[in-house]
Amino acid sequence: MLKLALKDLKLFVSEKRGLLLTFLLPIALITMFSLAFGGSGKKGESRPMTLVVADDDRTAESRRVAQELDSLKEFEVQVTSLDTGMNMVKKGDKAAILVLHKGLEDSVKAGASPPIEFMYDAAREAEIGILQGSLMGSLMGIVGMGSMEKSVVERFKKKNPDLDSAQLENIRQQIKENFSPEASEEQMEESQSFIKSTALVAEEETSPGLVQAVAGTAIMMLLFSVTSMGASLLDEKQEGTLKKLLYSPISPGSILTGKMLFTNIVCILQLTVMFLYSWLVFGLNIAQNIPALILMIIATAYACSSFGMFLAAVARTRAQVQGMSTLIILVMSCLGGSMIPSFLMPLWMQKVAVISVNYWGIQGFYDIFWRMLPVGDPTFLTRVLVLMAIGTGLNLVAMRLMKRNLLAIA
Amino acid sequence: MHFWKMIAVENLKKSYEGVEALKGISFNIREGEFFGLLGPNGAGKTTTISIMSTIVAPDSGKVSIGGKDIATNAMDCKRMIGVVPQEIALYNDLCAFDNLMFWGGLYDVPKAELKKRIQETLELFGLSDRQHDKVKTYSGGMKRRINIASALLHKPKVLFMDEPTVGIDPQSRNLIFEVVQKLHREGMTIVYTTHYMEEAERFCDRIGIIDKGEIIAQGTLDELKSSSKMKECISISFADGSSEDHHTSNVRSDLSKIVLRYNEAGRDIAHIDIKKVNLETIFLSLTGKQLRD
Repeated sequence: MLKLALKDLKLFVSEKRGLLLTFLLPIALITMFSLAFGGSGKKGESRPMTLVVADDDRTAESRRVAQELDSLKEFEVQVTSLDTGMNMVKKGDKAAILVLHKGLEDSVKAGASPPIEFMYDAAREAEIGILQGSLMGSLMGIVGMGSMEKSVVERFKKKNPDLDSAQLENIRQQIKENFSPEASEEQMEESQSFIKSTALVAEEETSPGLVQAVAGTAIMMLLFSVTSMGASLLDEKQEGTLKKLLYSPISPGSILTGKMLFTNIVCILQLTVMFLYSWLVFGLNIAQNIPALILMIIATAYACSSFGMFLAAVARTRAQVQGMSTLIILVMSCLGGSMIPSFLMPLWMQKVAVISVNYWGIQGFYDIFWRMLPVGDPTFLTRVLVLMAIGTGLNLVAMRLMKRNLLAIA
Repeated sequence: MHFWKMIAVENLKKSYEGVEALKGISFNIREGEFFGLLGPNGAGKTTTISIMSTIVAPDSGKVSIGGKDIATNAMDCKRMIGVVPQEIALYNDLCAFDNLMFWGGLYDVPKAELKKRIQETLELFGLSDRQHDKVKTYSGGMKRRINIASALLHKPKVLFMDEPTVGIDPQSRNLIFEVVQKLHREGMTIVYTTHYMEEAERFCDRIGIIDKGEIIAQGTLDELKSSSKMKECISISFADGSSEDHHTSNVRSDLSKIVLRYNEAGRDIAHIDIKKVNLETIFLSLTGKQLRD
């Protein structure tokens, strides 16, 4: 019995792919999810959130507000114009912006409610919740307190015209001491009352969760399917039909193109069926922008099928393809937002996500079903082009590698 | 157009990772000839066939098929040849008919004509009644027949057959022999590799023996016999258990003399065995190996 166990252990250790799958895959996934949900793991340390501030007032007071927000450890402020900021939200680049409207400085001086607006994408509910929670209290400390101070002092002056400057200063001091920048619940409620909130991307019939579930899952499963299809080329190599094809008057390039075409067709069919299913069962409104949907399905199918061909080109056997694909697809799906929405991930992971097919595909489908971007919108077209570029790049590498391997088969 | 040299191989060289698989081989195959390429494993047969069938590029040397250089006219040459690989290369989940439609379709045979040829070929190989069954349900011999059939649909001028009868039942083997002979009679040039000496002796007009990347002998069976300078052997076993071999170029005249001499010497002959020169013995004497080594 021991001899048998030792023999199996020896075989297991000699199979490097098996070792990688047994240890590296779980480690990679644990790392990924831990980073996504728990940051670096150091207690009490939080990463700053990017806060886009659209400064439409462009006064010393508006700049002060932006600077003070930036000085807080919770935020990393990015100041931009109102139009740019609104576009960022509409196109899904940012979840929300804080708009400092014209008249902010005057309002603060007059002790009136400051014209501040929080514009957001309602699809990113969880992200907005976190941002709003941190922002409102801080704003109360930065803007609300100054405004309130002015208002109270003015009221005192009006009712007691005899107050001298020392007494007024004393009142100011009392306000500052009693209302610290660390926001209380009451202050937060008060702040929410003076900050207007507007959904730039409004909640529609289509649930963002549904788009996420359909697009995320569809793309991840598509990647698994194409891997199998790409590996069929290796099966043909093993079974001798590939060699027999090479005897015929067909160039190696045509053989590969034929296989790529087949994979593309199946991918397009698979995605189409998945969206039809989502329409029939979950009511996803696939008819709202059919040209864009067709374009995105084609681009996603192309990128995914190229990925399958690339894996088949890199590997030497079907077993190798399956081993590699499990690792790569799970990592790509995790990074790209198939498993968890990418906006819930740390900023650096969101930046890394752009290397995955999943990210571009999911964002493209969000553009169609949630952000309602027209087919000609540059943001949407950029995603289509990126997917096509990824597909072409992978195809070229796959073609090169496969030709080299094909010529070596005989 | 008729070619004296349907296939011309000139000074072909090929190395794999520094190991010379072919060391400059040359031979010609006439149109309509049945040419056997024999050699032990690793001799260079597969490399030679792979180069002739255009899927491997030689390091140097030249091959032409039907007067066309395969290096510059690969596609034209591919249309002229049919290849029956040693491994059964079929799609098991497709039926025989669909397999043949696919493989024949690669050569741009018009659909109606292809269907007609498929029916003829299936009839020839005795598989008409099973044409719509999936290939995976076939026996090894039936698969091998379809494997050969798939190389014939475009009516190639040259047919490369790499061990087409390995591991099959006698019925399938006989059927394949009949088809091969028919194709030969119809004028097809056939290049045949086999481990079975009797097949080579039975079918081949000429034989090339390849060993360690070199053609060490080529010609008709008679030419090989005479060039080998091998002699037949009279092997005498005596009643006392001893034996003696006598090599001779004329068994008929020498046999009686040898028997008479032993009788006169009072030795009691128990058994006489005459070992004739055949392809097996020529091959053995040339390569030092059995064909199956």
